[in-house]
Amino acid sequence: MEEILRMEHISKCFGSFYANKDINLSIAKGEVHTLLGENGAGKSTLMNILIGLYQPTEGKIFINGKEVKIDSPNQAVKLGIGMVHQHFMLVEAMTVFENIILGDRRSKGILIDKEARRKEIVELSERYGLDLELDKLITEISVGAQQRVEILKALYRGAEILILDEPSAALTDIEVEGLFAIMNKLISEGKSIIFISHKMREVLRISDRITILRAGEAVTTVQCSETDGQKLANLMIGRELTPSHYEKKSVDEAPIIELKHVDYNKSSKHNGLNDLSMCIRPGEIVGIAGVDGNGQTQLAQIVTGVIAPDKGEAVLHGKTVSVFDPNAFIENKFAHIPEDRNAQGLIGDMSIADNLVLKKSEQKPFSSGKGLKLNKKAIRSYADEMAAKYDIRCTSVAQEVRSLSGGNQQKVILSRELESEPDLLVAAHPTRGLDIGATWFVHEQMIAARDRGVGILLISADFDEVLEVSDRILVIFEGQIMGEYSGKNPPVEEISIAMTGK
Amino acid sequence: MERVKKSMTGFLVPVLSIILAFLIGAIIMLAMGASPARAFGALFKGAFGSAAAIGTTLNKATPLIFTALCACFAYKCGVFNLGGEGQFLIGATAGFCAVHLTGVTSFPGILLCLLTGTLAGDIWGLIPGILKITRGLNEMIISIMMNYVATLFMGVIYTSWCRDAGMPQTASVDESVMLPRVIPNMRFAWAFVPAVVVGLLLYYFLYWTSSGFKLRAVGLNMTASRFNGFPVKTYILTSFIVSGAIAGLGGASDLLGTQYRLINGYGVGYGFDGVAMALIGQLHPIATVVVAIFFAALRVGSTSMQVATKVPTSVSDIIQALVIVFSVAGMALTQLPEFKAFMLRLTSRSSGKKEERKEA
Repeated sequence: MEEILRMEHISKCFGSFYANKDINLSIAKGEVHTLLGENGAGKSTLMNILIGLYQPTEGKIFINGKEVKIDSPNQAVKLGIGMVHQHFMLVEAMTVFENIILGDRRSKGILIDKEARRKEIVELSERYGLDLELDKLITEISVGAQQRVEILKALYRGAEILILDEPSAALTDIEVEGLFAIMNKLISEGKSIIFISHKMREVLRISDRITILRAGEAVTTVQCSETDGQKLANLMIGRELTPSHYEKKSVDEAPIIELKHVDYNKSSKHNGLNDLSMCIRPGEIVGIAGVDGNGQTQLAQIVTGVIAPDKGEAVLHGKTVSVFDPNAFIENKFAHIPEDRNAQGLIGDMSIADNLVLKKSEQKPFSSGKGLKLNKKAIRSYADEMAAKYDIRCTSVAQEVRSLSGGNQQKVILSRELESEPDLLVAAHPTRGLDIGATWFVHEQMIAARDRGVGILLISADFDEVLEVSDRILVIFEGQIMGEYSGKNPPVEEISIAMTGK
Repeated sequence: MERVKKSMTGFLVPVLSIILAFLIGAIIMLAMGASPARAFGALFKGAFGSAAAIGTTLNKATPLIFTALCACFAYKCGVFNLGGEGQFLIGATAGFCAVHLTGVTSFPGILLCLLTGTLAGDIWGLIPGILKITRGLNEMIISIMMNYVATLFMGVIYTSWCRDAGMPQTASVDESVMLPRVIPNMRFAWAFVPAVVVGLLLYYFLYWTSSGFKLRAVGLNMTASRFNGFPVKTYILTSFIVSGAIAGLGGASDLLGTQYRLINGYGVGYGFDGVAMALIGQLHPIATVVVAIFFAALRVGSTSMQVATKVPTSVSDIIQALVIVFSVAGMALTQLPEFKAFMLRLTSRSSGKKEERKEA
């Protein structure tokens, strides 16, 4: 088949970190080429290079056999590369037609020849079966239709290569069928599609070839007809199972909290929960494995009382929870390491000491008279003690917590939450962005807490982390639990397939 | 050490702004052919030169302190109460009506007036607060609109309901409820004292109690405060109520201390002056009180300056405006990432020991 795009030896460094390392990719005319890989495998970086947002540190790009330099998104458009982002880039208060002609550089004069443009767009949409009402506002049309607007926009600007970034993420099953029909139509007309997805079933159905990325490198490219889900999952995860450093436990004490048939924002596959049931027992770490954005955020927030489920119930120490309020959960000895430490965990403009006593400033010895007088000396010496105990590296505990590095900020939260002597700890991405040393420290602290009898819910997009510390592993996909596995010798391949929804 | 450094920049911005504003004021005076030294001397003498001058300055500062503290307290909780003026006026109006209509005199009258004024002020603050936490409406717009309602309501009182004979104003309050003067025959009423006391109380509350600590946390990061179990909405509502009450008390005490009657044009500008002063005072209650006194001094002293040196009072207005412009610009500057990086380089070079800042 005729090659339309070739990327040769592409590398991209951020500091000393290689997001892409010596990647070769070849796209043929009229094929659907899938990029498959875990979070952080380098798919987005590679695509951002292709659409001119990043410049590769090394490597060359050829289009139709000619070397090109893509130094801006405009240049990418000129070269016939169009991208449909996972989150659409549409102006909601404008009509479909206006969105499509927005940014069109063809008109030389001041006025736009709307009639000619409209004719052209109607022709295009009929040719590719993109059924759209041009005069509706974006807010008035469905998500599937918005996606068709994005595709039409790219085609209108002359795209020959279309990048679809997780296009099925926001769609209903019927809409996915429609999308696939459009994709088939596009390739039959000689367009090429780069398809990014985590969903094995879809990948196997629509792709011609599949390139697997892992840790910034292209592992291999395979023909879709010659592979299956198991092989792909192995390639994607691609790791030898390193035995965990920690001893795994199994407990059968009465659960601290139990979720029963919980629904939250059910219609959304990516930010909701769908009939989810699970429990957390004292002295165990329950790890939630799954690709980011399959309801993990909502799960953590329900278990900590930040949001209330639409349906179903949460049973706390045998009693059904009626009020979902973080404070009520904190009073029941729940602790929370939230996923966004700066926005949700810390008061950045306050000092380390202030953040450490945030939840207990009215208690002795930090204040006398039930909070009527803060005892700043006691707060200070407590903070000094915590900084030493949790190895918080700072010049002084009076320093603003904002000025700390991510790892040290995380230690501030960790120490605040663990020192509250919780019964249950919800840790959402506790080591995201941390280096190896800090990660190890967090894991050690979690294991130590578990051994003291704390129940821990670990939510992490890092599969290795889940395998490393969990006593029990639950796989979440589109808001549903796909399976439960023991943390002792977990069946890695089975879990990794479950993560992709198969 | 870090904290000291931070309060140093917090202190430097207003001080530098004031110096810069005076420098430009001096240039204007030179251009007018006047001697800046003499003019500023006269200004200072007019504001602080005698017991009488000091009294007048502090008296002028009193209502400004109240409205500035009103703004300061709400901002500390992260909400923008721009309704200080309305809360001040409704406090004065309600206080006036309470003593005028009931006829209660002497000390019980004073108490009644101050209480009614405080209550009216906090109701005026409560309305934008409730609308914000239940309906998510923008508190700035609502509180500004409430200013007009209060001004016009006061208008109804002095033009129709309690109009004093032919003039568009009310009769003055009974002599027995007027606040005594600190020094007899001098325009310096005891209302200044409660103003300063409120400032001290706010300082204590915000920095030395657990609730104040939490309120500041809410103001700095509402999401994290909610995740940490603070009743964020309660804090927001409370801050509106308290902030309204401060302004309302200010209105009532200004009525009894200085103004005595409701009249057209009363209180115009107090609200926004208060907002500016709270910001220049870096939202610190005590600094805010000092800034309010400074502005009052500029206003009082400018008259003496005009009399002694023929430099018009508008030059003082220019200086006041420039202080506001410079300090707002200065604060924006210190928030810039480039500036922060510059300061970091500066301090890391100057401080002898270089602390390790590497990731754990």
